[in-house]
Formats: sequence, structure tokens, C-alpha cells
Amino acid sequence: MKNMSYTFFRHIAILMFSAIFFSSCSEKEYSIPEGGADLQNDVIKRSLGPNLVGLDIEFAYAMALPKQKGKILWAQVEASIAGGEETYLENKSYYTHSGSDEINGGTDVGVVIGKPSENQGAKTIVNFSRDTSAATLRYFYDVPEQARGKKVEFTFTAKSSDGSTVSYKMGPYQIAVMDMVLNLEASDNQACYLSIKDMTFYSAAQAATRPQEIDLVYLYRGELNSFGHALVSPGADRQYLPQVDLPTGLSRSTKMRREFGLRDQQLGNPKYGIYIDDVDFQQLDVSDSPNYALNLKEEAGAWLETQDGTYRAYVFVNKIDNAGAKATLSMKRYKLK
Amino acid sequence: MKRYTIQFLCMLLSMAILPGCSKDLPMDEDGLLITDRAECYVSNFELLGADFITVRTSNAVIDTMACTIDVEVQFGTDLKNLYPQFSLASDAKLDPKIVGKVDFSDLQNPKVYTVISGNRKVRKPYTVVISIQNP
Repeated sequence: MKNMSYTFFRHIAILMFSAIFFSSCSEKEYSIPEGGADLQNDVIKRSLGPNLVGLDIEFAYAMALPKQKGKILWAQVEASIAGGEETYLENKSYYTHSGSDEINGGTDVGVVIGKPSENQGAKTIVNFSRDTSAATLRYFYDVPEQARGKKVEFTFTAKSSDGSTVSYKMGPYQIAVMDMVLNLEASDNQACYLSIKDMTFYSAAQAATRPQEIDLVYLYRGELNSFGHALVSPGADRQYLPQVDLPTGLSRSTKMRREFGLRDQQLGNPKYGIYIDDVDFQQLDVSDSPNYALNLKEEAGAWLETQDGTYRAYVFVNKIDNAGAKATLSMKRYKLK
Repeated sequence: MKRYTIQFLCMLLSMAILPGCSKDLPMDEDGLLITDRAECYVSNFELLGADFITVRTSNAVIDTMACTIDVEVQFGTDLKNLYPQFSLASDAKLDPKIVGKVDFSDLQNPKVYTVISGNRKVRKPYTVVISIQNP
């Protein structure tokens, strides 16, 4: 019995050792992958975050065929909704510089492959003049007003001299309902009356001509405790509007909630990967919030909803200037009605 | 072989039995252990705004004899949307529980939170008195 158990465990041990030994000993030699025999293509989407009207959606379109089979004749992108005037397909093929020096290493190098692209309705075409069998072109879709709140699809197509045609579909991509404005300059006692409808700061004289469109007043009171840079509704309690001589008729009350740590990438902070999207505005509830936001700091912000419930917005503080009593603000705005 | 099998089975049996031998400790209605500790006090108090940033202008003054917490908040603080945070004596708990934002806007009727000791025999009601900083 003793011999039997010893033999049994010895066999088990040998079996396990063999399994480990053999499984770790296989060696695969690397070989360069074989390219396809025909014209091929591929696409990646380069831009991130919500797709906003007025901004670009960027793609990289790669196409290639074996050199002996011929060359590429043209490349085309067709969008389901025609892009804006700034839509284009680059006439340069990019590769990454392999140099090790700090200046060139890793940078994109463009090689011209044809004339600049032409837009024909929803199609954008580049005709190749360079004899090449491989290229990667970038496509920039200028999101038009007609696409707001809709979905957009793209069909990338390339044709080669051997008569082959390949296509690649991308999307659909949702285009956001919201608007965005960057780098609004607010100045205490000057351009300090903010209209969410117009996404603009007005002076007191200008505000007096449109009192029902002024939602907030920007002011800086560095001498007061916990006040600093602030956005206050014209209809707020007077203690939150110290030394402010409001133009006649301004009375709107905008509910708002101050926010720290929400640094939207599109509103001016490329180092953070945070994006405010339509859904954030749809779910926003500031009904029990005050109608002012005091002591705003750089990279802080405030969620808000206009008194008439037409707009919700997020105001981001890009920069503050205590000495000049100024601030630079950016805004994403969502129309509810 | 038989001896190895018996040893292995004994080991398994021991593993199953031993953890179940510990003595049952009493638990309260919240599923928290009731211990022997009679300490009952607030050791620290924090008050965060809706943006999760403190709204205090200085440290809260905690009087464990009078059972009061005096805290001054910044001018303009949104008193309807605050998150209080209590640090308590070991094993103590708070009643009512804090499950979200709390409305402290009624300054005439300050909020009262009761600290209950680890043995659940001592209860001390603490009153949170808020004052607002002058601008």
C-alpha cells in the first residue's frame, strides 16, 4: 500500500512538472504579417468627446494594395448629412517620424498625394496625383447646423488602378443638441451682464435695452469675505449684489450650483478627459439651488438653469484676474424648449 | 493511500467546523456590533457644500459637555444643500443617519443629532449651531 501511494504521487508530480516545463518552452518566431492580395482599407476615429455643431469630427482613413497591383486613384468620404464648408479630406498622407531627436521624433510628417479635396454635396473627394499604393488621409467633418440632435454616418471609399473599390462604414454618431462658446471676457462693472440666450456679456447700456435677456451679473469683490469672482442673478437678494447699480428692468433669477473639479476637456482643459454631454443637462436639477454662485475660482464652474426654463448651461472659469477684476469664461448650453 | 485520504478529509472537516465556532456577538437593528464601549461624543465635524468643498471658515467648536457644535460658514453658503460629516467615538453611531444632502437653512431651529455609544446605553443629543460669516 505504501509503495502504491508513493508511485501514485511520483507520477502526479512528474506529470505536473512536464506540463509546466513543456508549456513554457514553446518558441514562436516572429514573422512580418502577410499583406492582403487586394486593395484594403481601414478607418479610426481620432476625435473624442461629444460631437458639437461647429466643431470637427476627425477620422484617419488608411488604404493600401500590393505595389505590383497598381496605385490608388482616389479616395472619397460620403456623409449622411452634408458637412459644413470647412469639411475636407486631407491631401497629405501622414506617417510618424522615426527620428530619435526631440524635435522630429514621433511627429506626424505629411506627404502630398494630390490636390486639395473638393466637396460635392455630401461627398468629399481627393484625386491622387502621386504614384502610391498606400496612404492614410485625415478627414475633418465640420458638423453643420442641420445635423444638430441627429445621427451621422460616414462611408469611406477608395479606388485603385486595377479597378478595385473598397468601402468602410463608420457611425452612426450622435450630434449633440448643446452649443458651446469659448473664452467670453467678463469685466466687473463693464461687460458684466450675461445673456444665456445670446451667450454674450453686455455692458450696462446694452443690458438696459434687453432686460429680459440678462440672466446673470459678473462681479468681483476681492475686499469682501468669501465673495471674490461671482455670478449673481439680477433678481438675487441685494446683499449678493454689493455696489451694483442694476439697469432698469433687470430682474431674472437664475438657479445655479457651483462645481469644483469638473474640468471639461472641450471648455478649455485639454489635460483632462472629462466631457459634459447632453445627458448631463437632461438630468440636471438645480431647482433647490440659490440664484448666485460666489467665490468662483479658476477651473471651477457652475451649473445653471434660466428662469424661464429655456436653457440649462455649465459655465466654466478658464481664467481669473484679480488685479483687473476680470474673468474668462466658457460655456456649454443646452436648449430645453 | 487510505491514510492520506483520511488525513485530507479530516483537514477539510476542520476547515468547515472551526470558523463556525466563534461566539455570536449581539447586533443592533442596523446590523452593527454592540460592544462594551460607553464613550459617547463627537470628535470632529465637517460641513461640505453641494460642490463637496468645505463651507467652514474655521474649525467647528465642539463642546462635549454642552453637546453643541458651533460652526461658522462662508458668506453666501447654500444652506439648503449641505453634507454634514461627524467623527464619533469608537463603535458609536448617529441618529438620524445622514443619507444625503441636509437642509440647514432654518437657523432658528438648529438640527439635532444624537450620538449613541457602542454599548447602545448612552445617548447624547448634539445641536449643530450654524452662523454665517459677515461679508
